[in-house]
Amino acid sequence: MSKKFIGLDIGSRGAKGILLVDGEIHTAIRPTGFNMQETGDALIDELLQKSGIKKSEITHIVGTGYGRVILNFGDIPYGDVTEISCHAKGAHYLHPNVRTIVDIGGQDSKAIKVDPTTGKVTDFVLNDKCAAGTGKFLEMIATSIGLTVEELGEISLQSTKTVKVTSQCVVFAESEVISLKAQDESQADIAAAVHLSVARRVGNLLSRVGIESDVVFTGGVSKNKGMRRALEEVTKANFVELSLDAQFAGALGAAVYASELATASHKVTKIHKERDLFASLRQDLGNIKEAA
Amino acid sequence: MTQEVVTDKPKRAGYFCIYTPIELITAAGATPIRLFKGGDADTVSSGEVHTRSSFCQFAQHSVGAFREGDPLYTSIDKIYHFNTCDQMKKAVEAIGEFFDVPYQMLCLPREKSRESSRAFMRREVEVFRNDVEGLTGNLVTDERLSEEIVKHNRARLWLKKISELRKRDEPPISGGEFLELVKAFYYLPVEKNLEQFEHFFRHLSAQEDTGERPLRIMISGGIIADGDNRLVDLLEKELGARIVVEDHCTGLRPFYYPISEDKTPLDALSDGYLDTAPCARMKPLTERLDFSEKLAQEYRVDAIVYVSLKFCSCYSISLNSFVKRFQGVGIPVLDISADYSESDLGQLRTRVGAFFELIKKGEKSASTKAA
Repeated sequence: MSKKFIGLDIGSRGAKGILLVDGEIHTAIRPTGFNMQETGDALIDELLQKSGIKKSEITHIVGTGYGRVILNFGDIPYGDVTEISCHAKGAHYLHPNVRTIVDIGGQDSKAIKVDPTTGKVTDFVLNDKCAAGTGKFLEMIATSIGLTVEELGEISLQSTKTVKVTSQCVVFAESEVISLKAQDESQADIAAAVHLSVARRVGNLLSRVGIESDVVFTGGVSKNKGMRRALEEVTKANFVELSLDAQFAGALGAAVYASELATASHKVTKIHKERDLFASLRQDLGNIKEAA
Repeated sequence: MTQEVVTDKPKRAGYFCIYTPIELITAAGATPIRLFKGGDADTVSSGEVHTRSSFCQFAQHSVGAFREGDPLYTSIDKIYHFNTCDQMKKAVEAIGEFFDVPYQMLCLPREKSRESSRAFMRREVEVFRNDVEGLTGNLVTDERLSEEIVKHNRARLWLKKISELRKRDEPPISGGEFLELVKAFYYLPVEKNLEQFEHFFRHLSAQEDTGERPLRIMISGGIIADGDNRLVDLLEKELGARIVVEDHCTGLRPFYYPISEDKTPLDALSDGYLDTAPCARMKPLTERLDFSEKLAQEYRVDAIVYVSLKFCSCYSISLNSFVKRFQGVGIPVLDISADYSESDLGQLRTRVGAFFELIKKGEKSASTKAA
């Protein structure tokens, strides 16, 4: 009997699922929603339906993304691995020569260095906790010029004139965009400027780990053609096309981890227990700090 | 303003930075209280009313605690500030200006090895002594001061000895627990601490070593305030690593070197505090790096988590040299730029989690940086 593994990538905006059966890949995707457990369960149901496999046949599940720590699937062994390792693993699985990954998701962006012999992470940089350089940024700007985020990418390819959005802050960038609108700049030119501004930001992350070919672009924003072009322009890199929609790279990596049972050693042992030894000290400290 | 009457309640002298010779405060009969609470986002926003958003959140929190009427902070009779960084210096001025808290500024030289710095520090310590004498109305005799130096040295030594138990494969005390003992040093009377620390040492040293070896972490960088538990809890309670040593001013670092008991007491304090294991604001930076490396080797750490508060110029600028130094010796460093907001725990978890995944794969020379 072949073994069947599921990888779930519960991101800040989108949740992705991968079912791996003998190298055959099934995918599922949906908005993350509020309840991450429900989202995870729904992804699994969809994967099972698509593949005609029964839940009891699943060998192992690995979760990644923001929602990874709270998931639980009853009898099926579950572990979690960070999305950084998973994106590397997934991209390596599809394209073993990958050395650099740029991942832009809904709420963060990352530059990851991968060891091409193992698919393991050797270095990584995350964006600061700030929406500049993320999918959320593009979404907000798209709304402010009356487009969807998909349209924003498409239309930017028709840009004929260079205009500039320089602010690093979403809020200020939005007002910059409104000024550009008032100056009667076209949607296409504004869209191109916005992508370029994100690309510069992400390019900085990339230059901190160093760009080495082959480079792969993953995450939800990798579907955006305008972003891809801007990023190639800024980094002078050529992105390798993957055989699978690159926003599934994290979920695929999770499924590969599940197959390696890499999570067996990942269990956290509770080493920390409250001790009587500290009780009286804590009381003394409490007294001085409260009743001064 | 010398006071003749001895009241029941001793005067409280507050201070922020560890470069304050507290032996002079106790010798004058006052109670030293280190003001190092932090970690609460509401207190930060309260403090931001009087500072600016470009201040680090520890400085903002310090101002905010006075504005919010924190009972410990408002019980302080006078603040003594040996200025380390500009942000804390300005925070103290703001506290004085907006909340009428008396304060005395004292200058701490940066180039600690220079002859002129030594002489200058010696004079500042004298100014400090005269001022606390004024606060309490008690003269500080050399004899009393020597007694206080001995007592505080003993307390420091206990903490160092307790910390050294963490050199074992399986440390009998977690980093989080060690920080509680550090809090005791800064909040409770030294006499009480001497008793307690000895008790802790006996108990902990008797604890059995089962030989389990957790991932050994050194925390390095700027202040980890009292109340700023997120990172420590994440590392130890959630991810199962152990903080075995702290290279920051609320961990082992200030307890590493004793004050000389052979010099005249004022000289001993002036030299001793200048020569304490250095903060990143001191020069030359190489001395700080040497000390960090020494600690990391001594405690056989697997990795270092370097934390600096956003807008802390001292610890953010020195990060590069720090990472380079440890790349040279093959100890991986994770750099975290922190603040006291509660919204980024998910990202912090991912950062640290990925770092651990990377180390476990044996990538010894890798370093990671947060943008």
